[in-house]
Amino acid sequence: MRSPRLALAIVLLSACAASSADLLPPDRPIQSAIDFYVDAKLKASAVTPAPVADDFTLIRRLTLDLVGRIPTPAETKAYVESTDPEKRAKLVDRLMASPAFVRHQVNQFEAMMAGPNGRGNSGGLREYLTKALGENRPWDQIFRDMLIANESDAKTKGASEFVKSRVSDLDRLTNDVSVLFFGVNVSCAQCHDHPLVPDWKQDHFFGMKSFFARSFDNAGFLAEREFGQIKFKPKAGPEKQAKMMFLTGATVEAPGAKEPSKDDEKKEREKFEQAKKDKKVPAPPSFSARAKLAEVALQSKESEFFSRSIANRLWHRFLGFGLVMPLDQMHSENKPSHPELLTWLARDIANHKYDLRPAIRGIVMSQAYSRSSKWTSESQPAPALFAVGRLKPLTPMQLATSLRIATADPLTFENVKPDELEKRIEAQENGARGFASSIAQPTDDFQVGVNEALLFSNSDKVSREFLADGNDKLLGRVKAAADDAKAIDLIVRSVQCRPATADEQKVLQEYLSRRGDRKPEAFRQVIWALISGAEFRFNY
Amino acid sequence: MANPEKLKVAKEVSHKAIAFAMARVAESMRVYLGCSDFKVYEADLAAMKVEPKELYGHESYVTGVALAGKTLVSGGYDGKLTWYDTDAKKIIRSETAHAKWIRRVVASPDGKVVASVADDMACRLWDAATGKQLHELRGHGEKTPNGFGSMLYAATFSPDGKHIATADKVAKIKVWEVTSGKPVAEMEAPIMYTWDQVQRLHSIGGIRSLAFSPDGKTLAVGGTGKIGNIDHLEAKARIELFDWSTQKRQIEYVSDKSQGLVNALRFTPDGSFLLAAGGANEGFLLVLDRDAKKTLRQEKITAHIHDMTIDEKGETIVMSGHNKVVVEEMKG
Amino acid sequence: MNIHRFCGSPDHAISRRGFLGTAAAAIGTAAFADMTGLDILANSVLAGEMKKQQKRVILLWLAGGASQLETWDPKPGAATGGPFRSIQTAVSGVRISELMPKMADRMKHKLAIRSLNTKNGDHGGAAMLMMRGRRDEANVKFPDLGAVIAKEMGRADSQVPDYVTFYTQTEGRSMAPGSSGFLGSRYAPMELTTNNQPDNIKRLDGINELDHQQRADLRDLLSKQFAQGRTSAPLGSHNEAYQRVRGLMASDKLFDVSQETDKMRDQYGRTQFGEQTLIARRLIEAGVPFVRVGRAWWDSHGQNFETHQEMVPELDHVMAALVDDLKDRGLLEHTMIITLAEFGRTPSINPSLGRDHFASAWSCSLTGASIKPGAYGKSDATGNKVVEGEVDAAKLFATIYSALGINPHKNYYLGARPVPLVEPGTEPIKEVLA
Repeated sequence: MRSPRLALAIVLLSACAASSADLLPPDRPIQSAIDFYVDAKLKASAVTPAPVADDFTLIRRLTLDLVGRIPTPAETKAYVESTDPEKRAKLVDRLMASPAFVRHQVNQFEAMMAGPNGRGNSGGLREYLTKALGENRPWDQIFRDMLIANESDAKTKGASEFVKSRVSDLDRLTNDVSVLFFGVNVSCAQCHDHPLVPDWKQDHFFGMKSFFARSFDNAGFLAEREFGQIKFKPKAGPEKQAKMMFLTGATVEAPGAKEPSKDDEKKEREKFEQAKKDKKVPAPPSFSARAKLAEVALQSKESEFFSRSIANRLWHRFLGFGLVMPLDQMHSENKPSHPELLTWLARDIANHKYDLRPAIRGIVMSQAYSRSSKWTSESQPAPALFAVGRLKPLTPMQLATSLRIATADPLTFENVKPDELEKRIEAQENGARGFASSIAQPTDDFQVGVNEALLFSNSDKVSREFLADGNDKLLGRVKAAADDAKAIDLIVRSVQCRPATADEQKVLQEYLSRRGDRKPEAFRQVIWALISGAEFRFNY
Repeated sequence: MANPEKLKVAKEVSHKAIAFAMARVAESMRVYLGCSDFKVYEADLAAMKVEPKELYGHESYVTGVALAGKTLVSGGYDGKLTWYDTDAKKIIRSETAHAKWIRRVVASPDGKVVASVADDMACRLWDAATGKQLHELRGHGEKTPNGFGSMLYAATFSPDGKHIATADKVAKIKVWEVTSGKPVAEMEAPIMYTWDQVQRLHSIGGIRSLAFSPDGKTLAVGGTGKIGNIDHLEAKARIELFDWSTQKRQIEYVSDKSQGLVNALRFTPDGSFLLAAGGANEGFLLVLDRDAKKTLRQEKITAHIHDMTIDEKGETIVMSGHNKVVVEEMKG
Repeated sequence: MNIHRFCGSPDHAISRRGFLGTAAAAIGTAAFADMTGLDILANSVLAGEMKKQQKRVILLWLAGGASQLETWDPKPGAATGGPFRSIQTAVSGVRISELMPKMADRMKHKLAIRSLNTKNGDHGGAAMLMMRGRRDEANVKFPDLGAVIAKEMGRADSQVPDYVTFYTQTEGRSMAPGSSGFLGSRYAPMELTTNNQPDNIKRLDGINELDHQQRADLRDLLSKQFAQGRTSAPLGSHNEAYQRVRGLMASDKLFDVSQETDKMRDQYGRTQFGEQTLIARRLIEAGVPFVRVGRAWWDSHGQNFETHQEMVPELDHVMAALVDDLKDRGLLEHTMIITLAEFGRTPSINPSLGRDHFASAWSCSLTGASIKPGAYGKSDATGNKVVEGEVDAAKLFATIYSALGINPHKNYYLGARPVPLVEPGTEPIKEVLA
């Protein structure tokens, strides 16, 4: 049998395909490197990509992606009308510098860390992410905070929830860490060597699990023992003692692998009992296996899993489709669509010491990100070519916040100082949380359920929150419009972030004209038809 | 002289089955037990080594045994009453007496009348000598307010033998005149019945025990309080005292410690004390003053208790229950 | 007044064109590109396997864990047997608890499986296992039986919901939620908890019928315009979800038990369980592929026999009404009634005369859908372990799927990863399949 380490070395070589020597130089602007690789593949596939999206679409896309909401009519107008050749870069920089960027990042990372069952977070994780992302703490530091999870350190408090909420199920903890930080799903290897992927042996799963085997919840505080190891029963052969082993096959000779003496055991038990009584965080062990994992995963030979995974996740977030799909299947049998690009981006992120902002900025400044989502010719190009913009369903918070902004009086956001605008938008965001909880978090292969359609169609909540009359509401402003055409223009600009087309004017005017006897209701219905429409539901 | 301060365990006898019902031979420690293995046993608790002896069987749980003179009458979930001659050690007759589970069998103080209550919601009075039915007492509702079949758990004769009290699952109590079979009083203790509409959609509880005071004026009623989680019997043991002639409730007694059903209630013969036994996952014995105003003793018993007798002096308490018979003494 | 006006009938379609006729011309015909051209429909269930004879499932979920000893696997006379007797059923050699005389008479349509060993005795974990047939992996949340049936048997454009679940009691509800797992919200259940009418199925008072319908048409028109030149499964599902709204609203009568005759209502009994089961029959008759009626809460740690004395006769009565009714309507062959819980109850009887959680040897029943009647599997004399024909959750689900004509080994795809419906290597109980 090949040693796992050797197997992995081979895998990594073939998966990376390009050695760094063959890559574009690291000082190439990120967006330019992205477009170089994406264009090369398009060319090789003889596919002409969709043109760049118009300015209305671009500002909507960027605002949703960077600050988690649609732009206000005033923001759209200013952007579209600007003749500044640098306007896009300026927009991106303005959005990324705003506190809303941090809040949106927090929402995104929190959703990711909550995992598919959305369980386990009592708010501490959110608090931590807000603080960490607010000071632009690098991704490797965040990873370390999550794993080491020192609850007595105010700087990282809350990060412990990631481990703590999973520590009662070590299999899950092991796999979630592997999936979220390394793009690797080892759960199959729990029961047997992975049937389809030669990379993943039982040794890997139990090797990773060994890093967590000493962790437990000591009356509400995360604790770690000095001792403890995992034994497992391979599919064939006698029971085996697992070694702490990273995904690359790198192993750690850990102290405490031997059975502890009765005395040591007793001492340790007393230490945890005392901590329980004192309601305090137990003192960390002299050797922390979790801290060791953080160290091993980031050392130069093993860090590719970490850097490639975050590169792929960021790409997926902004392009709607990863360079490797699915995100947790980064292994030799599932090659990236653009191997060099992934390697280049991963190296770039590492070179930036895991500050994610340059990569985010580079991605959203690229041509690949900017394409129209309409495809007019016959055959649809493969998604991995990134030839056409991909529709991304709005997240619950994006949708709920955007609904509130779309249906607020647009003047709320006009002629106010940037600070005040920021405050008003944050207020809308805060007000959106309730409604967001009734919307499903999108996943890959997301489908909108009929419950959502029924909610929009018949719930009092939608009618009350988004279609109400009043001075601070879109409806109030619309009712004051000089004529139907102006009213329609106002509605479409507020909700769709663009002017109404001539056809839309015609259809909507006809709709309104048939309801001359109940104009306010008619306006309300038009607003409803737009906020419940497909165009609003997606980031296109 | 009974002295609750001296209450202590005198004997514990393990048994292989749950002993739901017990009858004691007067002035002795000989008892008959009705059990979950469908059998009726005889045991001499005074013996050094108590070895219950199997007498005969039913076709389901045996939940009522009563002694009418030398005749032992047992009833069970098979609906049958079996009449057994304790001298000749022979079954006299065994007949289906009820369409559903028989819950209790009791004999009048003079041993002339035997009563059985069952989930067909009838109390039947039988001539102890001939086994002939004297009366069928009907009036307990067949269904609970929620449409499920009700259950008729408890019956007891008044000390003068002129009246019999019966009580059911929904905590309705009736007192009947024995000679005429006519109802003469009706009371209820609704807290003893828990219907859970919101969480679990079924019920639990009911009145499980009845006792007249020796002067015949007071009727004690036992069960449990409203249960929050009806998966379990976790509510405080509950006793209510009624002046049954005026149909007025006098006392609502709630134990501060003991959990579960009061399955057996007995006044000491001189009327000084009221004893209550029962349980949930473990058992309890309560010794109260006559008016159930004061808790004199509150004992944990190692088995959930289903039945209890007290000797003529009021000093020796015998309890039968979950795989156990327990004897306690409170001799002054 | 024409009450069918808004139920998607042909006359309704005409009034639809009435508004959109001119408006649609304004936008151009391309906006009306047939929705079936969308990816979502091309991939949908309709395409392949209508041949499954449109089987339906009603799951009577005995939440909290009904006792096998007081239902399908009595052990009268054993120390663990409890007080109930067994009675002969219509299938010779098969006896069930005396609490179920009506089921005994109808045993020719029923199969009792008496050899479940599912190992999990914790309400939450066990409920998920028995709803899904398998244990979730750290990153894969499996769809439950209802979601799979909805996907396999439902119609993409269905005018009725395809997975409905009733669970009115609060106890254990959150531990046994309906869940479509990785199949996504398209197959998520319509959950009825507080009453027997689904949420958001009725038009609000603030809008009249005509406006409600025409604003939906307007929404549709604008959304189709947006969909031009855009291909996306989520986009398709969004439009499809809205297409189903009017139909579902018209299905409110399906949930209205007062539409049934008094005689029929009496047959089921006017209890919550009876009425919800009657609604379940109305739903499956109208084409809903899967309905779960949750009957909570059987967790009889105390007073097991009294609890089962209340609940089993009710189950017996309601299930008998359902079997008879389905038979009269010619639906029994096409409908499977399942009684299932998260686990059964311990043979040993605790001091509170209760039975505790027990997953090592318990029972469930399958009725109808051409399942071979009788009893399968055996527990030992005291009911403590399985001695013949052990069935785990995977095998039970493989059997259910097979009986419904669904290949239990078929794969769903999670991205590139094939996920078989049941644990690989699991075979159905061949002996009980017709």
